[in-house]
Amino acid sequence: MAHALTLSNVASGYGQHLVIRDVSLEVPQGTLAALIGPNGHGKTTLLRTVSGLVPCRSGTISLHGQRIDRLRPDEIVAAGLVHVPQGDLLFPDMTVLENLRMGAYLPAAAKQERQRLEEVFTLLPKLRERRGQVASTLSGGERRMVGIGRGLMAGGSILMLDEPSLGLAPIVIDQIYAVIASLRASGRTIVIVEENATRIAEIADRLHLLDNGRFAWAGSGPELMSSPEILSAYLGG
Amino acid sequence: MDVLVQILSSGLTLGAMYAVSTIGLALVYGSLNMLNMSHGALLALGGYVCLYVMTALGLPALLAVPAAMTACGLAGLVIYQLAARPMLGSRNFETQIFIATIGIGAVLENVILRSFGPQPVAQPLNLPGAVTVGSVHIPNQNILIFAVSILMMVAVALLLNNTRMGRAIRATAQNRDAAQLMGIRIGRVYAQVLAISGALAAVSGIMISSLSGLLPNMGGDPMLKAFIICVVAGLGNVYGAAGVALALGLLEALIQYVFGVQYSFAILLLLVIAVLIWRPAGLFGRTQVVRL
Repeated sequence: MAHALTLSNVASGYGQHLVIRDVSLEVPQGTLAALIGPNGHGKTTLLRTVSGLVPCRSGTISLHGQRIDRLRPDEIVAAGLVHVPQGDLLFPDMTVLENLRMGAYLPAAAKQERQRLEEVFTLLPKLRERRGQVASTLSGGERRMVGIGRGLMAGGSILMLDEPSLGLAPIVIDQIYAVIASLRASGRTIVIVEENATRIAEIADRLHLLDNGRFAWAGSGPELMSSPEILSAYLGG
Repeated sequence: MDVLVQILSSGLTLGAMYAVSTIGLALVYGSLNMLNMSHGALLALGGYVCLYVMTALGLPALLAVPAAMTACGLAGLVIYQLAARPMLGSRNFETQIFIATIGIGAVLENVILRSFGPQPVAQPLNLPGAVTVGSVHIPNQNILIFAVSILMMVAVALLLNNTRMGRAIRATAQNRDAAQLMGIRIGRVYAQVLAISGALAAVSGIMISSLSGLLPNMGGDPMLKAFIICVVAGLGNVYGAAGVALALGLLEALIQYVFGVQYSFAILLLLVIAVLIWRPAGLFGRTQVVRL
């Protein structure tokens, strides 16, 4: 049985500059994998490479055993991999509802739009209240929730979240984490990029430490918490 | 009172005509940050295709207009495939495509020049007669232009707001990366937008030439005005562009009445400079500049 997501020896970057040098990763079905590590070491670029926004220079990426590294971003979404990008990237002139509906743009998702919308509103009740509001007028936490909700509308088998709690107030971070925990409990495969390693260690099945375009360490939450040398060297703890 | 009717009728005709060619430019800039400098040549192409279908083929206007729209829409697709698409990944896309489309426009104009000659020709699509309001004669052609322009604007608004293609175009214009992550094939959106812009240019070119006649370089002035309108509205803002087009048309008619035709373009340009000093991103523009 192939893993939900498999990367082998992936390299990518911008122009002449390689950001991801040699990354291999296996994410089993139904697990939560966290990419941790200092800023500017390629975590976001890695997600953008997987979703096709940044071309993969070498190596292979497979989704349930099927190669996706030569596909366009729209084909990768259609294959079931959903990427909720860093900094929301909402459609600023559209309402919350229109943004959510864009998530179900592809025909397969559009068929289930009504039902998914109900699920998203149940999971993120704030969005139901705000559904008529234009996205550019929302608060940071609300924007983040629209971003996640929009990703859920696509109904992919794998969800990649890029720093969902970045820059939010502690109480909003708790709400976002509650949502992630319930998504994980529902059996979804999740890849999450997170600055706050100790927080994500509580719910991740496996953590992968990205350093200068390569994985420097991988292990479970308890393993990370009992590795003071890793915490102090990379994570400022 | 007669003066007001006169200014309103010529101003709304001008403005509506500008709006049709401007919304095409705004759509293209909004979606792919491309200033299409061959737009003027597309206006001329539309006018000449209409002439050719009506005179050389002897077909009615109701066939000539769709034929011109199809020809210019295809020209837009060709511009996308041959020029824009190969440059899309480039860091200097905006500059490169700007220069490339100047070249495409020059080639297209010269093809028209070789095929139809340099002498001015009247546009056969012209509605005779006039309506009299008070003591002012409003030519039926002006009324037709106004009606067709409104029809085109409503059609574009319906397309953008109520179709799947329109949602994809709006999403791409608002956030290109996010649009791709929703499963939108943005290459297709770019091609569609250039085709739509070409078809609108054809309609606009036919309307302009029905008032001022056909010349291979007839598109230069209207294109410049369309760019001015785009910049004043905020580049890429489609609804703003339509509104500003109507306002500038009325203003131009007023200036022409008060100061005379020779001052209209100069005063318009002065106003544009003033607006851009006051609001550098345009009246309805966002300050954030989207880059490829």
